Formats: sequence, C-alpha cells, structure tokens
Amino acid sequence: MAVATLAGCGASGHSLLNSEVRKLNPSLLTPFPFTFSLDPLGLFFLILICTVSLPVALFSVSYVKRHYSAARQKWLWALLFLFVTSMAGVVAASSGFAFLVCWEIMSLASAGLILIEGSSGDRRHNLFIYLLMTHAATAAVIAAFLVFLPHSHSLDFAAIRAAGATLPPGVRIALFLLAFAGFGTKAGIIPLHLWLPRAHPIAPSPVSALMSGVMLKIAVYGFVRFAFDFLVGGPAWFGYLVLVAGAVSGLLGVLYAIAEHDLKRLLAYHSVENIGIIYLGLGASLVFMAHGARVWAALALAGALLHTLNHALFKSLLFLGTGAIADSTHTVDLEKLGGLQRRMPVTGAVFLIGCCSIIGLPLFNGFISEWMIFRSFLGGSTLTNSIAQTLLPLIVGVLALIGGLAAACFVKVFGVAFLGRPRSQEAEHASEAPLAMRAGMMLLAAGCMVIGIWPGAFLRPIVSLAQSLVGAPAAPPETLLIARVIPWVAAAFLALLAVVSVLKRAKRQTPTWACGLPGLTSRMQYTSTSFSKPIRFVFGRVYKADRKLEVLPEDQPYFPASISYHSVRTTSYERFLYRPFVDGVVAAANQLRRLQTGNIQVYLLYIVMTLVSLLLYLRLAG
Amino acid sequence: MGILETTAGKVLSAYSVFLFLTVLAQAAARRFSTNVLLFSLQSAIIAIQVAVIGYHEKLVEAYVVAALIVLLKVVGIPYAFFRLIEKLQSPREVISATSAAESVFVAVGIICLSYAAVRSYASGVHAPEDSLAASVALILTGAFLMVSRRKALVQMIGLLVLENGIFLAALTTTFGMPLIIEIGIFFDVLIGLLLMGLFVFRIRDTFDHLDVSKLRKLRG
Amino acid sequence: MTIALGVLQVVLLVIGAPLLRGIVGRLKAVLQRRRGAPIWRPYADIWKLLHKEDLVPPSASGIFGLAPLLLLVTSILATAFVPLLANSALLGSTGDFILLVYLLAFGRFFLALGGMDGGSAFGGMGASREALVSSLAEVPLVLGLVAVAIQASNASVVGMTEWALERNFFNISAVHLLAFLALGIVALAETGRMPVDNPATHLELTMIHEGMVLEYSGPNLALIEWAGAIKLSFMAGLLIALFAPWGMATTFSPAALGLAAVAMLAKTFALAVALAVIESGIAKLRMYAVPDFLGVAAAFGTLAVIFTALMKR
Repeated sequence: MAVATLAGCGASGHSLLNSEVRKLNPSLLTPFPFTFSLDPLGLFFLILICTVSLPVALFSVSYVKRHYSAARQKWLWALLFLFVTSMAGVVAASSGFAFLVCWEIMSLASAGLILIEGSSGDRRHNLFIYLLMTHAATAAVIAAFLVFLPHSHSLDFAAIRAAGATLPPGVRIALFLLAFAGFGTKAGIIPLHLWLPRAHPIAPSPVSALMSGVMLKIAVYGFVRFAFDFLVGGPAWFGYLVLVAGAVSGLLGVLYAIAEHDLKRLLAYHSVENIGIIYLGLGASLVFMAHGARVWAALALAGALLHTLNHALFKSLLFLGTGAIADSTHTVDLEKLGGLQRRMPVTGAVFLIGCCSIIGLPLFNGFISEWMIFRSFLGGSTLTNSIAQTLLPLIVGVLALIGGLAAACFVKVFGVAFLGRPRSQEAEHASEAPLAMRAGMMLLAAGCMVIGIWPGAFLRPIVSLAQSLVGAPAAPPETLLIARVIPWVAAAFLALLAVVSVLKRAKRQTPTWACGLPGLTSRMQYTSTSFSKPIRFVFGRVYKADRKLEVLPEDQPYFPASISYHSVRTTSYERFLYRPFVDGVVAAANQLRRLQTGNIQVYLLYIVMTLVSLLLYLRLAG
Repeated sequence: MGILETTAGKVLSAYSVFLFLTVLAQAAARRFSTNVLLFSLQSAIIAIQVAVIGYHEKLVEAYVVAALIVLLKVVGIPYAFFRLIEKLQSPREVISATSAAESVFVAVGIICLSYAAVRSYASGVHAPEDSLAASVALILTGAFLMVSRRKALVQMIGLLVLENGIFLAALTTTFGMPLIIEIGIFFDVLIGLLLMGLFVFRIRDTFDHLDVSKLRKLRG
Repeated sequence: MTIALGVLQVVLLVIGAPLLRGIVGRLKAVLQRRRGAPIWRPYADIWKLLHKEDLVPPSASGIFGLAPLLLLVTSILATAFVPLLANSALLGSTGDFILLVYLLAFGRFFLALGGMDGGSAFGGMGASREALVSSLAEVPLVLGLVAVAIQASNASVVGMTEWALERNFFNISAVHLLAFLALGIVALAETGRMPVDNPATHLELTMIHEGMVLEYSGPNLALIEWAGAIKLSFMAGLLIALFAPWGMATTFSPAALGLAAVAMLAKTFALAVALAVIESGIAKLRMYAVPDFLGVAAAFGTLAVIFTALMKR
C-alpha cells in the first residue's frame, strides 16, 4: 500500500511535470464538461502538492505502521491516496464541474482521515464544525461558479476567463466577494478560521502536515484562479479587503499561536498567520494592479506564490516533526516536553530548520518570500494614489511585528520542546525517530535550505508565472538582486563561521547555576506558559482570558497547602460572531416551524397559493 | 500676494516640524514638569517664528509680539507653574486615561487629520500647508490633553497648547494681526488661567488631590 | 579598491567595537564622578575569557555552543552593510535593510535558544523578555528604515547614505528627524542599553540580556560580549551613515580618507557622549513600561512613513 502511494505520487508528479499542457477529457461520462488540463498556475500548485506529498508519504510508511492496526492502515493509505489525488485534481481541473467534484472529494477524504484517529464525542464535534464550515465554503464557491454561468454559458475555464473581462461591475463584486469568502474559509483567514485549529490537531500527524501544508494552498490556488485569472483584478478596494484580512489573520494568528502549548494547535494557528502573510502579498498585488503598477504587482504576487510553496515545505516539515515527537513521547503538550535535542538529534536539527524557515531567517526559504512581499509594500510609495502611498509602506510595520512575534513563538517552541531538561518521564526516555520518518523530514528540510540559499533557480519560473498572471511587461528587478546577494551572504556566513570556530576551546561539564542551592529540577525551568506571559500581558486585550486562581486554605495566602491556577483563553469569535448567527438561524427555523402544521389541507393550500402566485408573477412579468 | 510665496511662509513651514515634535513629546510626557517645559519650548518656537517673520517683513510690531510671547509664555507662565507645583506638593506623574504609546499614536492621528483638514483650505487662503496643519494639530492636541489627562494642572497646559494653536493659525492665515488684538488674546488667556489656578487651589483644599475624575462624586 | 575599503571598514567596526564600549563606560564613569576602568578594558576582558575553560551545563545540547558562534557571525555580517569612511560597503549596495534586519534577528534567535538550553529559570526568563522586547522593537526599526528608504528611493544602506550626502544638514527633512528618533530608541533597546535593559546588573527582576547569557562562560561568553560590542558600534555606524554621513570621502585619495576617518571618529565620539548622558540621566524602565517606550518609537516611525507621502505633494 505504502509503495503504491509512493509510486502513485511519484508517477503522477513525474508524468505531469514532463508533459506539456495535456488535456484529459472524460466528459462523455458526465452531463457537464469534466475536463482537466494544466496551465502554468495549475502546474505550479501541482508541483507543490507532489513535492510535499512525497516526503509525507515516506514519513507515513513507518509512522502508520507503528500507530495503527492493519485494517486501519489500509483505510488510511486509501484515503491518503484519494486525498492527494483529489487535490491534484483540483489544481488540474479546467472546468468548474471537475473543480468542484475534486474539491468535495478533497474535503471528505480529509474528514475521513481525521476519523481514522478515533471518534470520541469531542472529536466528532470538532469534525462536525470542520465539515460544516468547509461546506459553507463549498457553497460559496459553487455560488461563484453559478454566478459566472449566465455570462460564460459554460463552466469551462476558457469560457469563464473570456467572460471575466466583460462582466458588469455588480456581478464582478459579487463574484469577488463569494470567492473571497469561500476560499477564505478554506484557507482559514480570521474570522473564518474557526475550523482550522480544531481540525488540524486531531488528524494523524502526516495528515495534519498535508492539510496544513497542502490543502490550505489549494484554497489559495482557488482564490488566485478567481481573482487574478478569471477577474483579472478589480477596483482597489478588492485589494484593501484582502490586505485587511491578511493583516488581521497574520497578527492574530501569531498572537494566538504564542498562547498555545499544544504543539499541533500552535502550528495550526501559525498556518493562519502564514496564510495571512500570503494574503498580504495577494492584496498588495491587487492594489498595484488597480493602480496600474503591474511590475510591482508581479513582485507581490510572486512573493505570495513563493511563500505558498515555502509554507507548504516548512509547515509540513514542522507537522512531521511534531509527529516524530508524538511518536516518541506520546504527547504534543509543550509543558511535558524538553531536552529532546540530546535524545532526538536529527529530528531536532530538521525541526530547527523548519523553525528558522517559518520565521524567515536569511539563508532559509521563508526569508526569500517574505523579503519579496516586504519589498513590494515598499514599492507602494511609488504610486500616485495618496491612500496607497501611505498605507502600503505602513503595512511593512505590521509584517515586521508578525515576523518578530513569530520568532518569539518559535524560540518558545524549540526552546521548550528540544532544549533544557525534560519535563516528564516520557520526554526523558524519548528516542530518535525511525529511518523512514527521518528521511521524509530531511527531504523537506533540504527543500527549505535549497530555496533559501539558491533562490535564483526557483524565482525565475515563479516570477514569470506571476508576470503572466498580472500582465506585467517586465520582471521586477528586485528578484534578481536577492537571487544574486543571498548566495554571497551564505558563502560569507560559512567562511566566517569557520574562522570564528577557531576561537572555541575544549569544554567541561558543570552543573547549571542554581544560585548556590542544590536540587535544581526541571520544574524550575521556564515553561511554555511562563515564556509567553510577557507577550500575553502586553497584548492582553487580544486574548480576553478567563483566569481562575484557587489557593487552599484561603486564610493563608502566603503559605498555601495547594494552589491551582486555571486559565482559559476563549476565542471570542464563537461567542460574539458565530453564536448570534447560529441563534438567529435557529430562531428563524423556529418561526418556519409554524408553517409545518401537519394538517393536509394547509399543505394543499400552500400548493394552490404557490400556483396562484406563480401565475400572477407570469402575468405581471409578461 | 499671499503669505505662501514669501520667505515668511517658508520659515513657518520649516519650523512647523519642531512644533509637531513638541506635540508628540507632550503626548508622550509622563511628568507634569516635562509637559510645562515642552510648552515653554513650543512657545519659544512660535516666538522665533514671529521674530524671523518680523525681520523678513520689516515689521516692528512683530518684535513686540515676540517679546511678549517670550515674557509670558516662555518664561512667565512656566515659572508660575513650577511655583504652583511646589506649593501644591502634588505627585509629579501625569495620570492619563491612555498609555504613552497610545497617546502618541493619537497625536500621530491628529497630525494626519490636520493635514487632511487643511488640504483644501490652505490653497484657498494662500497659507503654507505645514504651518496651518501644525496650528490645527496644536489645537486638537490641546483638546486631547484636556480630555485624556485626569489632573487639573495638565488640563491647564492643554488649554495653553490650544491657545498656542489658535495664535499660530491667526499668524499663518492673516499675518499682520493688529497688535492690540494680540494683546487682547494674551490677557484673555491670562485671566482664564488665573481662574483655573484659583479653582485648582479650591479643588485641592476641598478634596486633597487634583484628580478631576473624582469630581464625579459631587453628582447628587 | 572598493573591496579593500569594504574589508577595512568591517575590520575597523569589528576590532574597534570593544573600544567604543570602553569609551562609553569611561564617559559614564566621568559623568558619575567615578574614576572608571581604562578604555581598553573590554579587550582585556575578551582576551581573558578567551583563555578560560568553556563550562557547559549538563542539559545543554549542541545549540548551546553554536549560538555564540552564530551571534558573532551575523553581527560581523551586519557590519558589512555600514558605510564608514566612504560611501561604500561590502553588502551595502546589493543587500537592503530588510536583509540587514533579519540578519540581526538571526543572531538574536539563536542566542535566545542558547539561553534556554541551560535548563535554569534565568535563561528562560531572559529569553522570554528578549523575545518580547525584540519583537516589539522590530516595528519601529523597520518603519524608521522604510521612511528613510522611501525618501531616498533606495532600499540599500548605501543608497540612503547617498541621498543624505547630496543634501546638507539644513536640507534634511522632517522624515529624517522622526526616523532618527525612532531608530535611536530602537538602538537603545537592541543594544540592551539603559532605559530598556541595564548592562551592569544581575538583578533578576530587571535583567534581560544578562539573564539569557547567565550560563555562558569562557570563550563562549567572550564571543557574546564581543558580538554585543559589535552591535553597539554597528548601530552607531548605521545611525551616522543614515542621518549624518557628511564628511565621508568621495574619492579614494589618502587625504580624503584621512579626513573621513577624523570626521567618523568625532561623530562616533559625539554619539558615545550622548549615550553616556542618556544612560546616566535616565532610570531603567519597569519591564512592562518597555513596550510603551517602544510603542512611542513605533508611533514616530509611523509618522515618519506618513510624512514621506505628505512631503511628496
């Protein structure tokens, strides 16, 4: 089974990479055009899917064997294969019908994969929320295709593209908003992210890696397809809407991530953050397009696309690393980890590469894409429109804050999980992951490093793709600059490192300084919660935490027998955004129940009234 | 000919940067004495502006006005304030409803708003835009200080900043205001201050502090 | 010639860095009416530490030893961005300020990890505070540089310096004034100076940087100290290059370079005096007042960027 998936992934990737645009047309079987073909945009995302799926499959080979019974293994491989294939189908689809069918299979297969891990009540509740929101997203996407239908008279992408240029402004706005909401929900932008931190942590780690690393990118693909390929931009406020969504998702995503100590939830919130960064790039590109600065638009879009690829690489790497930790210690709670670097050196090293990449340190891939997005915002000052001129450069500040906070968060993650002393028995006795798992992670880590050190080779095709999407006459000169300077910096870095290492001396082990007192234990270390305390304090308004401190006995606050501290960070979206909506729907449904009397004559009356009103409508309209 | 094309206009524009800085600093200032010093500095900048314009436009009146500003606002009122602080023995910190960073961001917003507000108007009256914006910013910052700071003393400073703004606006739009009106305005402010000073003493004597937010308790 | 000059500048900044630290320390002593240590003292410190044993806590992994190396390497790389004598630097024209900012973040990230590797409470505390301060300082740092870059229509440090060189002191705009204030505050925070962090104390309530490096000793500590000194001289060099580059050599003649060296020394000394005065005159801020302080800097940076748009019209 494992081999089959591997081969399948490899073969599909290989055959599609080497072929030119190839058409697959099984339409005869269906009433609607059900066609597949690959254009550069689809190809880019297909490559993304394949490059990530392959190492993940490799990782899964031993992960799945160690975790699941034989019957479940078969289900898991089958669903995994279906999941990856359906994602490939989405990006390869060249008609709305094929797109939607694959899209739906993708959603259902991922839900099935989540169920494999178990089906407790809590799990089912989270899964239900995932399915509910993903179908709301699908509904919006279907609606978007249907809005196109009267203008394009076909669901074929070529027809849609042709119709996109001549849409009336009202339809254009409706389409954009539908695509924005539909794909935004699937991508997890705040406040439509509700399902994301619920669904990703409960899936098996390789599946989380695919969901976070790849499935979110399919939503980005859908949005790029609609906003850039079909609609070819729009008024500037489209861009500003996307910018605001990106800035809010980026900032709140990273702030929520810092407050988490469940590693998988933390990474899920970082996906929200990175989707925010991608949306910032897309938004900037739309704004530039609206103001006619197409070269800058190409830079921003190329940055967003590269970040999509980069995020797929490092996020799946981090999720796989989490899987390796869970495999070895049976927990993903940061408060129970620690000291893993000495026990799992390879996992630690590749996880560190993932951390460096996600916070955008130079010589790692995250830097290149964030740099491009940074530079494109700087280019906002060259526009003549005064709002864009002021706003775009200011967003650089937001990006910097996101970057800084992400760095803080990953100091916490790596420092607490891998460094210091182990905080539990399980972490104390952790051992290195098996070979297949390590190999999968190392492949992804190598991808991160290669893009980070030698970006030129990857930038060229991505920039030309972005150029063709926004219709830029020339490639942005900035990309050449970064491609030229980064290898030099890397070389200088290594040379200096070699020189400076000469200064090191032989070392001797001594106990950690404990203020001269004996008995330093691992419980005295900073924990994940205490590490994030200053940031949670400063951004206290974002969290709305409920705190409860219980000191027993109450009359001796300074010498308590027991003390318990409980803090619940409620994401207020449920309470303030979704709850009123759900209540409203339920109230409306209750009102509608009055129609349902159970009396057959009343039902007949409804039918007659419908007929009469239809006739009246015909008469009046005619 | 409007003031825009003259050297005086350029002088006004160039100095307004420093006025913006004092505005930002006043929003950030945590101590009452710093606030007073900044007000003194702000008035000094305006006095220099008046004197330089007087030099370029050959107006003797302007020197008199500048001298008055120095005498009253740069030296007199701050000195009185310091005496007041000594006498009142009230804590040095400014108690504010907003944190320093928030206040400065509000001040940034005020400056942007001022530019946006004077945009259309500035070309109409042929006044330098920067200076006009600075005057509006001073007025709004004065109002902001009065709104956000809880101590009566700082609210007095707010009033003075506001007055500086009005003076600057007059200077920018209709340069060459008759001397008598200038002096009239000065005395208006002076009497206002005297009254507020009296009130401050009364508040202190009655409540033992200067926190005006506590005055709310007087409500029946 | 350009490359030779670039290398010379890096060497000057890297080798001269402890001297600047010594001078600031001496100036502070003079201001506080102490006699103070000789200005060469930081060199002696580094020399002494380099010849000591390297003590490593039992819980430490490879990251512990790697962190000081990476910190020093990224600090040295950062100095390659700063024009000092003439307006050119090894990475100054090809690398832009974003690369520079992220290189600094590189070293900081690993130092914080090194702090957490010791397995004591102090390291974690220092790392946690450093994470807060540095993530908040990033905003004014970047905004200030963005404002200057927009004014100069060039994102490289050399380009920004070029723009300022073409103008005289009185012709420089409000944007620069505001950006200078923002970057000045950031420079204090980044180098762990007074209102943000106190380099002279080991009191756990207040320390940030010192908490992080508490477990380090011997050559590791020497590298960290040296990197800290380099960061100070780098920040001074950057501020001078962006806001007061006048006096830099425009030709490569010995006379021009000599004059530039004198000007550079004078300006650096002026900055050192300013730093000593600030550090002697201001008390350290409470930990939770630091975000407010940096917020003020961020507001300055924001206004600087807004002014770039206003100035254009």
